[in-house]
Amino acid sequence: MYNTRVRGILIKGNKTYSDVSRDVLRPLDAPTPIWWWVTAGLAIIAMAWGSWAFYNTISTGIGIWGLNNNVGWGFEIINFVWWIGIGHAGTAFSIFLLILRQKWRTSINRAAEAMTIFAVMAAGLFPLLHMGRIWDGFFIFPYWNTRGPLWDNFNSPLFWDVVAISTYFMASALFWYMGMIPDFATIRESTTSKIKKKIYGAMSFGWIGNAKSWLRFETAALLLGGMAAPLVVSVHSIVSMDFSVSVVPGWHTTIFPPYFVIGAIFSGFGMVLTLMIILRKLYSFKDYVTDGHLDAITRILTFISLIMATAYMTELFTAWYSGSEYELFTFMKNRVTGDYTFAYWTMITCNAIIPQLFWFKAIRKNIAIVFIMSIFINIGMWFERYIIVVTSLSKDFLPATWAGYSPTIIEVAAFVGTIGLFVFGVLAFFRWLPTIAISEVKGVLKETTTLKSFTDEN
Amino acid sequence: MDKKVQLSGKFKLIMLVMIVLGVISVIAGFVTENGTRTWANLLLNNYYFLSIAMGALFWMAIQAVTQSGWSVAYLRIPQAMSNYLIVSFVLFALMFLGVHDLYHWTHADAVAQDPLLQHKAPYLNLPFFALRFVVFFGLWIFLTYRIKSLSLREDKVGGVAYFSKIEFASKVFIFVFAFSFSLFSIDWLMSLDPHWYSTIYVVKKFISAFFHGVAAIAAIAIILRKLGYLPMLTKEHIANFSRYIFALSIIWAYMWLSQYLLIWYANIPEETIYYVPREMGEYKTMFYTELLVNWAFPFLFLMWNRVAKNENLVLFAVLVLIVGQWVELYMSIMPSIELKHAISLIEVGTFIGFAGLFGLVTGYSLSKMPLIPKNHPYLLESTTEEHF
Repeated sequence: MYNTRVRGILIKGNKTYSDVSRDVLRPLDAPTPIWWWVTAGLAIIAMAWGSWAFYNTISTGIGIWGLNNNVGWGFEIINFVWWIGIGHAGTAFSIFLLILRQKWRTSINRAAEAMTIFAVMAAGLFPLLHMGRIWDGFFIFPYWNTRGPLWDNFNSPLFWDVVAISTYFMASALFWYMGMIPDFATIRESTTSKIKKKIYGAMSFGWIGNAKSWLRFETAALLLGGMAAPLVVSVHSIVSMDFSVSVVPGWHTTIFPPYFVIGAIFSGFGMVLTLMIILRKLYSFKDYVTDGHLDAITRILTFISLIMATAYMTELFTAWYSGSEYELFTFMKNRVTGDYTFAYWTMITCNAIIPQLFWFKAIRKNIAIVFIMSIFINIGMWFERYIIVVTSLSKDFLPATWAGYSPTIIEVAAFVGTIGLFVFGVLAFFRWLPTIAISEVKGVLKETTTLKSFTDEN
Repeated sequence: MDKKVQLSGKFKLIMLVMIVLGVISVIAGFVTENGTRTWANLLLNNYYFLSIAMGALFWMAIQAVTQSGWSVAYLRIPQAMSNYLIVSFVLFALMFLGVHDLYHWTHADAVAQDPLLQHKAPYLNLPFFALRFVVFFGLWIFLTYRIKSLSLREDKVGGVAYFSKIEFASKVFIFVFAFSFSLFSIDWLMSLDPHWYSTIYVVKKFISAFFHGVAAIAAIAIILRKLGYLPMLTKEHIANFSRYIFALSIIWAYMWLSQYLLIWYANIPEETIYYVPREMGEYKTMFYTELLVNWAFPFLFLMWNRVAKNENLVLFAVLVLIVGQWVELYMSIMPSIELKHAISLIEVGTFIGFAGLFGLVTGYSLSKMPLIPKNHPYLLESTTEEHF
């Protein structure tokens, strides 16, 4: 039994059911705001620049990147891992919090899931591009065998990646879409535009909201959630194995799978925080995404940040404890000190130190600072991938081949392009889809409010 | 609400008999077998029950931090286990008599000939080892005692002040636990193979403690309900415990696989050496049993909703996991000590003795405080039925 006197109210402003529908759907019917056009314009410019980079890479080959014989992975892999990490949040958020019965997730899960979809799309572009011969990209799928023996290397974590990420993408998209079906029906019923009625009507698959449908819907959500939870873990575990199955010092360490998953959830939650602060500001959703919601996310971030810090310490300690000169060199001479000191300490500062400020209530309550800190987390996690990918490759076992790495403008453009794609995707979501799960918020409204008309019934 | 657990004379007698059996087994071990094996056996059982208690206390801290409501009625069970930490401290302290039998790195002449051990000597040396041991136990006993006493004071005073204090203490405990228990596991278990290292080793031990700790709580709760103490333990709550066990069995296997797969794949001799006696020698059967009992069984068994809600079947699953934890530790310790795999009555007897001691301490502590934290603000969520 949810006791509002102990736990506080979840949705502020004494909302009734019709208030919830009206508030969430208002932006869909309103004329497109100026900020939307401006941001969308910027995103399109970014995507155009990115497309230029993609065109150049495909037509010329990946030789125009800054990679060399030693550092064979650079910006593309860093950004791939970074985006995949961000793409963890949505599903992690919805599913873990669903399983843990955290009712406050209902205001946030929809936006977090949308973010997941676009982040995974952005991530997926990089390995495709990295193939060099993108027109042979379909080779990686274990499709029906018409080419003689299958060409997939089942021993390769890169192939596992393809399987894990495409499965994850499908499951997340399905979960996201399925959750929206009742809300599409709500839009269909409430909109006055005939075209919208047709479109949202088709998207709602004729949902009429009878008891049987709800029963099936909830069971399906729980089942899909339960099945997607291991997927969340598997994706980044396998991404980590791209590195850790090797014998490269700094890559080959057994803690990598859980360490990557935690890092991914960390960066994803950081991005959720960034987006929710923007969303609630733009659409005045402060009654739904309350300060309490943001407070909960910051608490989780503090906790994960401590895990990250512990993981960093474990790595350093074990590098020393191993007594292996290669491990010691990589960690002590090429990360903590050496050519990559700046990136290393940026990573430590952003991921392990700055989030500790969330211990202070005054900071958690100051949304401007929280917003800035969430950006720092995103930056810190980018640097973490930079450290992992570049440092270990740049100086390996053969000092004669040591080399540095700096990206070319093409690589930067491709990265900016994917940011454009992500932003554009999120904008489209803001504009045309219900950004808060109306039906789920309604589901928790009754027991988490103090509104008279509800409490009288009890 | 102020009801306390009454220990029956029969329970006390059984526990005492078990302890006596254990003492006889240990003495028999020292007399008949070589001392090293008996010390290893003592280490196994000491670590076993410590990790059960610590895992259970970690579960308690997690409940406070995540503000879980359903579990409130069962918080006293881990709190009772906190008293075992003091007993464990004494028993572990006795282990210092046997460190030379167990730990290769404690021999000065061995270190003198081994550059790698010399490198590790700033960490792996007896005085620092002992210092860490005392500090860690001190922290654990202090923090868990504090949480327990705050909870008991909440019973008398009420209000939410103690609730917030418990939450903060739990946060501190979680962090201290993660950090110290990791090093503790390196000290007492991983350093049995002083050359070998794996970063996930300690994480797996941490998860294993949590996993089996929750299983122990579930078992005690079910037994108490059968004795008529915890009427709020509905099918829903049993299913919640099952979900914990189920999820943790997957996480446990995930840790197991992370370590095994990566070491197998990279195939670096310094690392694979760890698996050579375990997977290829006499321990082969036990190697697969560990995975089977701790992962495959709970995973497949508790996947069925009907099983997960049935208290007798969950109790059975816990019994299997009790064996599972033992097998896991056996596989951590024994192959590092000697290459011969043999389980005799001495091992069984020692385990029974420790189990008796653990049961007696936990039962006695449980009988000394009210079984339900009556002023906990979320108690109502625990005692009224809620469907998921």
